[in-house]
Amino acid sequence: MTAAADTLAEPRPRVPQRRRRRYGAILLLGPALILSLYALILPMLVFLRYSFYRFERGRLIEDWSFDAYIDFFTDPFYLQIGLESLQIALTVTVISVLISYPLAYCLWRLNRPSLQKWLALIIFSPIMVSVVVRSYGWQVVLSDQGVVNQVLLGLGIFSEPARILYTALAVIIGLVHVFLPFAVFPMYSSMTRLDPALREAAYDLGAGWFSFFWRIALPRTLPGVIAGAQVCFTLALGSFVTASLLGGGRVQVFPIEVYRATAEINWPTASVANLVLLILAIVSVMIFSRLARLVED
Amino acid sequence: MTEKHAFRHILLAVYGVLACAFILAPLLITVVNSFSSVAYNVFPPEGLSFRWYVNLAAQSEFYVAGLRSIILALSTMAVTLTIGTMAAYALVRFRFIGRGAVNGLLMAPVVIPNIAIGVAMFMFIVRLGIVGHYSNLLVTHALVSLPFVVVIVSVGFTNFDWSLEEAARDLGAGPFATFFRVLMPQIRTNLIIGGAFAFITSFDQVETTLFLVRPDQNTLPVEMFLYLQKWQDPTISALAVVLIVFAAFLLVLLSLALRGRQQIASVLRAERH
Repeated sequence: MTAAADTLAEPRPRVPQRRRRRYGAILLLGPALILSLYALILPMLVFLRYSFYRFERGRLIEDWSFDAYIDFFTDPFYLQIGLESLQIALTVTVISVLISYPLAYCLWRLNRPSLQKWLALIIFSPIMVSVVVRSYGWQVVLSDQGVVNQVLLGLGIFSEPARILYTALAVIIGLVHVFLPFAVFPMYSSMTRLDPALREAAYDLGAGWFSFFWRIALPRTLPGVIAGAQVCFTLALGSFVTASLLGGGRVQVFPIEVYRATAEINWPTASVANLVLLILAIVSVMIFSRLARLVED
Repeated sequence: MTEKHAFRHILLAVYGVLACAFILAPLLITVVNSFSSVAYNVFPPEGLSFRWYVNLAAQSEFYVAGLRSIILALSTMAVTLTIGTMAAYALVRFRFIGRGAVNGLLMAPVVIPNIAIGVAMFMFIVRLGIVGHYSNLLVTHALVSLPFVVVIVSVGFTNFDWSLEEAARDLGAGPFATFFRVLMPQIRTNLIIGGAFAFITSFDQVETTLFLVRPDQNTLPVEMFLYLQKWQDPTISALAVVLIVFAAFLLVLLSLALRGRQQIASVLRAERH
């Protein structure tokens, strides 16, 4: 169990399987499967059904029509929403990875256990604080008379307060902050799997820190980077609270549109937007797991 | 060589401090803001006062909502720990047809945007005619937090020395006695961390709750979210401070529960014996 014995591609420990009493598996999995069926599969079928309804003069009409799909895919407004959603999710992912990797490295390299504990506490404990609270915190920080603007004005960079709150930039800052721990964790965990002997060996053979990082550490921690990026991307795509508190209705993304259409009883449109969001999430997971496999080879 | 070495380390330390500042900034500024004497967001505050705490104390719907959230989160935790541990045991211990598919299904809520689950569930309960029923919240929160429990407890089972179970069974212990007296003590850390994840996931859930909750029975995050849509005075800052203190309390509780246990990071991944 020592770190040195902890090689990179360790096979999962073999757990002896009990071949007898297979019904045990069904019995034990039963409640979880019933929950998934009731709260996930059936609701998904129902919302798919609603996407074929028609919405006319404020009323839902039961039908099998493609009206909602045609409206959705021909209206430039929804195209705009799609582009903005993807753009925000991508930007958040790239920035999160760029900020988190060095931070995970800091955490990994700290050799004072007490300091390391504090840094881990600072990085991971914000998970315990509600996303509503954290987004509200950024509202305060980024408001016209908030800290950021006071500093920018004080330094003479701007002559009047910059409008940051209720823009895509505010949403991006807030999302990066909320997802940071989720990005750091897989990266840190892939770093702890690095064999310390590799470092010694590389330095003994005359490699500088950069070539050690670039040729040994980075390729071996890329799976962690991809896992972190995937978490950020899917969470950013589905973010509702942060997008609506920091976007203030001026940043239109899929989750906000889904909420709005549902509240306006336009369920066919809500369902189609929801379906598109779902497909985007699934496709992104497929792309990321493809990337992960490429990296591991 | 040594000087370059030191310079690089200083750079890294500066980076770490800046990153911490970024992480803590919105929380610290919320704390400062909660003592502001004016209703608008201005930094530094124009004066100091406790008026937002007084205002918060008068808003009883926040306490009730907070209590509701805690009860819901505890119930979610109990449900997910029970069925999640059962599922994790089956997934680790048995090989059966469709195991991959079952695992994929149980993990799906992690990658599906929560709002998609919330809307779908809302339309489903409208169809069933059970809008406003408490079970809707419990079931949905359990679904969303189940993957965390299954993953974390599975790691515990994977690292478990199964000869102990065989020994207990050979010595005549029944399946329940074996589980509670042999398995459970060994995976206690995983259960505590999994339970904490389930609690927090439920306690912080807005996207699904928003569609399922009865308007007069909002949970705390939903109540706050809706309050922020209408007002932006520092009452929410005061409440945020209360919640930050609550989070710190939970953290202390968690570290007490995990005292003397192995490194948490090692509990969260499969190791070779």
